[in-house]
Amino acid sequence: MVRVKSRYLLCEVNVSDRSRLLQLDDRAVAAAVKAAVARIHGDYGAALCSIRFSVKYLNTHTGIVFLRFPKRCYKLLWSALPFITSVETRGQKIPCFLNCLHVGGTIRTCQKFLIRYNTQQLHRMLPQCKNEEERQQVRKAILNCSLTGRNKQAFEDVSDSEDEEE
Amino acid sequence: MSVFMDLNLSYTAEKSRLQSLIETAAHLGFSTVAINYVFEPADKKKQDIPSPTPINELIDQLPIVQGRSRPIRVLNRLTIVMSDPSHFRPNAAEYRCFDLLAVQPTTEKLFHAACMMYDVDIICMSVTEKLPFFFKRAPVNAAADRGLVFEVSYAAAIRDSTVRRYTIANAVSLMESCRGKNVILSSAAEKPLELRGPYDVSNLGLLFGLSDGDAKEAVSSSCRSVILHAETRKTASGIVYTVKSCQQETLPAAAHCRFTQSCDTQVRFKEPIRSLPHLTTHR
Repeated sequence: MVRVKSRYLLCEVNVSDRSRLLQLDDRAVAAAVKAAVARIHGDYGAALCSIRFSVKYLNTHTGIVFLRFPKRCYKLLWSALPFITSVETRGQKIPCFLNCLHVGGTIRTCQKFLIRYNTQQLHRMLPQCKNEEERQQVRKAILNCSLTGRNKQAFEDVSDSEDEEE
Repeated sequence: MSVFMDLNLSYTAEKSRLQSLIETAAHLGFSTVAINYVFEPADKKKQDIPSPTPINELIDQLPIVQGRSRPIRVLNRLTIVMSDPSHFRPNAAEYRCFDLLAVQPTTEKLFHAACMMYDVDIICMSVTEKLPFFFKRAPVNAAADRGLVFEVSYAAAIRDSTVRRYTIANAVSLMESCRGKNVILSSAAEKPLELRGPYDVSNLGLLFGLSDGDAKEAVSSSCRSVILHAETRKTASGIVYTVKSCQQETLPAAAHCRFTQSCDTQVRFKEPIRSLPHLTTHR
């Protein structure tokens, strides 16, 4: 069967202070990735990057990005990602680094992993809550996640309650 | 899910920076980290080997590793940059407080001696300059048989472009002679932004010429075998393992009873670690 295959890389953008995460946008991240690939792999890398590379999804509250690469050369382009030290947006440089969490063949599998990862993050956040109200919100969000058959909605609940925590 | 370790975090005097380094490492998924104290003896004056600050002074509560339920394990490590055979004194008393010992040879003779004779765990490759010597198969194989590993660190490559070329050049020539086994990759991170996640680091191994399986081993099982090798150094090849235990004894007193506590060391015999093949990777 002839089908164009891609690899979707689920990455997390780590910054030292979370308030600057909100200023990111997907074109800035795409430009940063292309610049890094051009720096490391030169013209060959820059050419590979222009085939089917794009930023599919960016969540500024949690710092999750979905990057799409062609299947043939995704490892080469992935090896340039650790060399990103900052993302430049609207005239400011935000020092950050990308941490790859999962590689999937489709956006669906990446989303399934992301839901599991977000529930784990909620569980990690529970002992760090500072007051009872936050604790109730986190518990409600965790209970929401454990219902099956409501994937998309659980995803939104989880990301909403996460940004209430910040 | 395997354990990922990063055995080279630079020691800085600022406690807050070290704390945020360890927290970032726990967030990224590293189960064990080692704080590296670099000791570079200069020829003229006599310097003392720095003694490590105990872990509970550095950070009160160790953060829990992402994806697991245990807190992160922090070890102490000493790296000696050698340019002269007198710099490394075998069996010195100050080495005992460090969990891991590493050596960074700068000449071919020292490299040969370190591989064959010195009682260390890790041999570091310098990344900031082109190595003046070539690796020969004989000392590299001997080191692998003894259980030593070679280390390549990547934070300098992230910071600077010319250093990147030296790092890749040195790493590729190392991989040619050691065939990809007994290598670990670690950051020499000074700031939390210089750390990278374990999957990214093993992908960097592909840049250095490792195969997929070897690159993953470089972040997980080779590191584990180094830590076990370091334990055998402390405990006489893993046979004798001393444990302090406190016992209470009652004095036979006529008038009143007094409880005194006394600590005595129990000597337990454990199986030699080297004889368990699945724990250490060696040929």
